[in-house]
Amino acid sequence: MARMLTFNIFRYNPQDSASFPHMQEFRLEETESMTLFIALNRLREEQDHSLQFDFCCRAAICGACAMVVNGRPGLACHTKTKDFPDKITLMPLPVFKLVGDLSVDTGTWFRGMAKKIESWCHTKKVFDPNAQEERMDNALAERIYELDRCVECGCCVAACGTALMRDDFLGATALNRIARFILDPRDERTEKDYFDIIGTDEGVFGCMGLFGCQDVCPKRLPLQEVLGKLRLKMAFAAANNLLPKFLRREVRL
Amino acid sequence: MSSIPSYATHKPETSCRCSAYLDWLQMLTGACLILFMLMHLLFVGSAIISPSLMNGLSKVFEWTGMAQIGGPVIFFLLLLHFVLAARKIPFASKQQGIMIANARRMHHLDTWLWVIQAVSGMVILVMGSIHLWTVLTNLPITAQKNAMRLQDSRAWIGFYIVFIPMVWLHTGIGFYRIMVKWGIVGIDGRPGLRKKDALIAATAMVIGFMTLWRFVFLSIN
Repeated sequence: MARMLTFNIFRYNPQDSASFPHMQEFRLEETESMTLFIALNRLREEQDHSLQFDFCCRAAICGACAMVVNGRPGLACHTKTKDFPDKITLMPLPVFKLVGDLSVDTGTWFRGMAKKIESWCHTKKVFDPNAQEERMDNALAERIYELDRCVECGCCVAACGTALMRDDFLGATALNRIARFILDPRDERTEKDYFDIIGTDEGVFGCMGLFGCQDVCPKRLPLQEVLGKLRLKMAFAAANNLLPKFLRREVRL
Repeated sequence: MSSIPSYATHKPETSCRCSAYLDWLQMLTGACLILFMLMHLLFVGSAIISPSLMNGLSKVFEWTGMAQIGGPVIFFLLLLHFVLAARKIPFASKQQGIMIANARRMHHLDTWLWVIQAVSGMVILVMGSIHLWTVLTNLPITAQKNAMRLQDSRAWIGFYIVFIPMVWLHTGIGFYRIMVKWGIVGIDGRPGLRKKDALIAATAMVIGFMTLWRFVFLSIN
């Protein structure tokens, strides 16, 4: 017999002056292979048309449907109800600006982050549209692609104690993005350039090592390893000029 | 870029390496204190085998000057490590509330371990200072002196019943965090490291309590 699920959903519309933040209870019969995305759509269609939440791809590719599910950030389309008890609490992601109910504006945050870390290939080469694209070693391309799989859902930021406490902290997603450019030979930025961006307490040295980012990432990005290697790389970049030759290290990601 | 001045008082066009140096120092002082604690465990734990063995080791530390110089150095390292770690610890009640709320919401072990480490760090600062001051102002260290202190006042027994677990919780979690935070242990190694680390910390805690037990019931004469 199918379970009757109880959803406790955060409701608040900042656009409506009569609205106030509160939790609203919904009940819905569970169906086979039900995801939170399916459940939310059914709730909106069958019970409350005003329920706000974001979705687009339904396949954990767009990152739009991130929300806090029973305390942990995750993607609604990627989360099966069978993995949860009868009661499921849904909250919007913290850190980001609330649009309404479960919908948050991650776009503005990510655009600001991309501008801050200059998230593009810096090169002095003039683009020649007739030239063949430069070849890249396949193994290296795969390593860059591995880090490029980030869908900007914001789960790692919402799960990060440092980001919650300090709004100037770059967050795992930004540090992962920088690692991707460090790997990319087309980006001509030097180690000092990268250090200027992330070699601070707002960057990699601000990470307190709670590892929440790694454990909630729906794309299973190796954030813990990336942040660890970045810390080591930046720490040696700063210390190499003080160290005797035999202790100096150039850390590769 | 973060180096672009955004305030009138912002230092222009210079990149500061201080965050990196302070992070190095935090890690290195922590690593030194972990090593010290392991050696300290062997030293005081030797009283379980024989109080004379501990007294013998103590004489070596006295004779080489390790107790007279090393003791204050460890005190300094403890204070320095606290100041460095305090850069990250939330002191404002609003920030503390955010951290606790996050840990409770997430049901995430490593977030809780961080909270435990921060709290135990505060406790160690106070209790460690009391312990070091008491021991270093009454050199040389002997098993009989330790026993006398504990047998004279039950408050000291209560003190160490709190202090020993705090030290090994902080030390164990600190070692684990250094290994992961500095990229020495990868994703796959994290659960295994956590288990081994917990086992070592628990063993150290047991040895600590056995030593305490030994001192409480040691014949002073």
